[in-house]
Amino acid sequence: MDEKDFALYPYISGASAHVKSLGMSLDRLVTSRAMESARIRGKERVMQAIEGELFKPSLSASDEQKILLELLSYPFSRILVSSIDDSFLTRRYCLAEAVASYKLLKTSDLDFLEEFASDFSVYPDRSDTGFKLHFTSYIRMASSLKAIEWKLVNRKLHHGNVNVSKEEFSRLLQELIKERVEHNLPMPVNEELVESCEPYLVEIQELLEERKSTFGDSEFESVETDLFPPCITHAIANTQAGVNLAHSMRFAMTAFLITIGMTVDDIMNLFTASPDFDIEKARYQIEHIAGSSGTHYKPPSCSTMQTYGNCYAPDEMCKKISHPLNYYSRKVWFRKRDAQKAAGNTVPDKSQKNDS
Amino acid sequence: MDERTRQFVVSAFQNYYSTADIKLPPDFTSREWGFIEFTSGQDTFMKRHRAFGSEGELHDYLRGIGPAHAYYSVAYYEYPGAPKMKEKNWLKADLIFDIDSDHLPGGINSYADMLEKGKRETLKLLEFLMDDFGFREEQVHAVFSGGRGYHFHISEESVLSLGSAERREIVDYVSSKGLNLEKIFSKKDISGDAGAESAKMSVFPSEDEGGWGGRINRYLISYLSSIAKDEDAVKILSGFKGIGKTTAEKLVDTFKDESRVAALKKGKMDALGGIKKDILMTIVNQGVEQMAACVDEPVTADIKRLIRLPGSLHGKSGMKVTALSIDELETFEPLNDAVVFGDKSVKIKVIKPFAVQMKGKDLMVEEGIQEVPEYAAIYLMCRGVAEYGR
Repeated sequence: MDEKDFALYPYISGASAHVKSLGMSLDRLVTSRAMESARIRGKERVMQAIEGELFKPSLSASDEQKILLELLSYPFSRILVSSIDDSFLTRRYCLAEAVASYKLLKTSDLDFLEEFASDFSVYPDRSDTGFKLHFTSYIRMASSLKAIEWKLVNRKLHHGNVNVSKEEFSRLLQELIKERVEHNLPMPVNEELVESCEPYLVEIQELLEERKSTFGDSEFESVETDLFPPCITHAIANTQAGVNLAHSMRFAMTAFLITIGMTVDDIMNLFTASPDFDIEKARYQIEHIAGSSGTHYKPPSCSTMQTYGNCYAPDEMCKKISHPLNYYSRKVWFRKRDAQKAAGNTVPDKSQKNDS
Repeated sequence: MDERTRQFVVSAFQNYYSTADIKLPPDFTSREWGFIEFTSGQDTFMKRHRAFGSEGELHDYLRGIGPAHAYYSVAYYEYPGAPKMKEKNWLKADLIFDIDSDHLPGGINSYADMLEKGKRETLKLLEFLMDDFGFREEQVHAVFSGGRGYHFHISEESVLSLGSAERREIVDYVSSKGLNLEKIFSKKDISGDAGAESAKMSVFPSEDEGGWGGRINRYLISYLSSIAKDEDAVKILSGFKGIGKTTAEKLVDTFKDESRVAALKKGKMDALGGIKKDILMTIVNQGVEQMAACVDEPVTADIKRLIRLPGSLHGKSGMKVTALSIDELETFEPLNDAVVFGDKSVKIKVIKPFAVQMKGKDLMVEEGIQEVPEYAAIYLMCRGVAEYGR
């Protein structure tokens, strides 16, 4: 890896060693006038993370100044995130860093990916279609991913190895990157340091508040909870009663609610009634399923629900559908039709039915 | 058990431990140990958070106490003897599987029958561990628990640092939990030539594909091929939900035709002719159920669990927790091979009638005083159905 790679993947072990070798002190990074553009970029990283996507510059080896700036902006953005010390921001920032790396990694060549992975003690073999991973490495990376396709049981495990494509491997690395970026974050920062960063913090805090309030401003009225399929209604009732749901059911319920248009905060509101509700953990899980990680998960079909034993008390409507979403969209369509009939209007065109 | 019985059993256990050759687990000084002693009252509690610095120390302890149950932690700790879990500092843990014959689906007729079913389940699990997970025979240490089940211990470096969620993925794999069967039969888009419409090709895993896909191919083909040879093939197949006489006949024809079977082995679904995939799904579901190994999930996921020490005795049966090589496992007969006590006659008072097969003999005891061989006496006392003496 060269300096350019350190700048693009600044959490790599070689990168911090490189920063040290430049004789860069924390004090200089925060106060030196020469470092101002690195600090501005550091602030930009955090702002972009709040807005949803962190963009990496394209760097060529000759851009020494640009490379240095990009590299040093990373420790500064960590200082900013630590100074604000808001769990929502920390999570969002770490995720954005990891997703940005994923996007870059999936376009890299296999040699580079191999070298990159070795920094995380992952040593894949090559296969015809990409990489071959020992199952222990695979589950270490994939067990935090909730989509059913990532489960080991759905992979072609053979003599201890799992094949993954280049893109899949990059997605798995994203999990390790997030873990690494999260490590020690927020870090302890003294008041003096926070004070010196003040000029950079104001804008971030404003954006953060704005973002949080938009999240809170929901379209909840348009979601008709009484039209949910029995499996989802049952799961919501259980959650509200403080009963712990199986992972697969929590996933199905959350993905369902998000797909029909509820926001993360709506869902949180729905659940906070339960006594042992862990807000932090739940928000993280909900956001993850909502797709802030780059993948938008669709709720599982009826047959997958059955596989997991999550199909609950199917009714007449259930016989006609094969996906919980279709249950809802049919019911919504019927209700609209009935409402319009009652109002003396004509039946809406069936083609408008939102059959996802 | 009354006090006299307790003394008799403890002394028999102490006697066993004075000559027993017990192979200790790897790095035994990093393990937490726990013991339950025989008591004459109802209260049993485990003395745990113990650590041993030498083999002799542990042997002396077993000989001295003659515990009813002896356990060590699957975990390796920096301070295994620390009184609080948090202070022990977990380093890593063996990978453990527990097959408890008690929890297997299907009816069970007797203790012997139950143990046999457990063994079959154990062999299923072994196949997964070797074929899919790539462990070698000598890396998987099988143990008969002395009670109702079997354990596997794996102490390979690669698995030691796995966390609970990761270990649960392994259990889900062998038990087929979360298996996405929809993906097994899928349609793949093949883009046609310029101007031509794109076609859909039905895809099915080939027999040599890894994971559950290949397994399902092999099951489906071997199951249907063997039924096709049966005189009553059509009748058997019509017994499946959703399969009528016509479909059954079609299936028989297909699986009698070697060239079509060869194509199916390669995953070419078209060789099935007009048979719908829903029909095969019924058989696939049956296959998944039969191939899945029924493993006690919490045991594998618990990275701090205490597990029975191989070579120790099980206090509810008096039988030996027996370490087995894979070859030994196949021919192992617990009710003979795990019995350690002798034939010397012992007088017991039976509290309730009981039947068991041990050492190849059917043993049936009625209420009252009688003499039985020592191994049976200890078994019955441990089970709580007899007391020592008159």
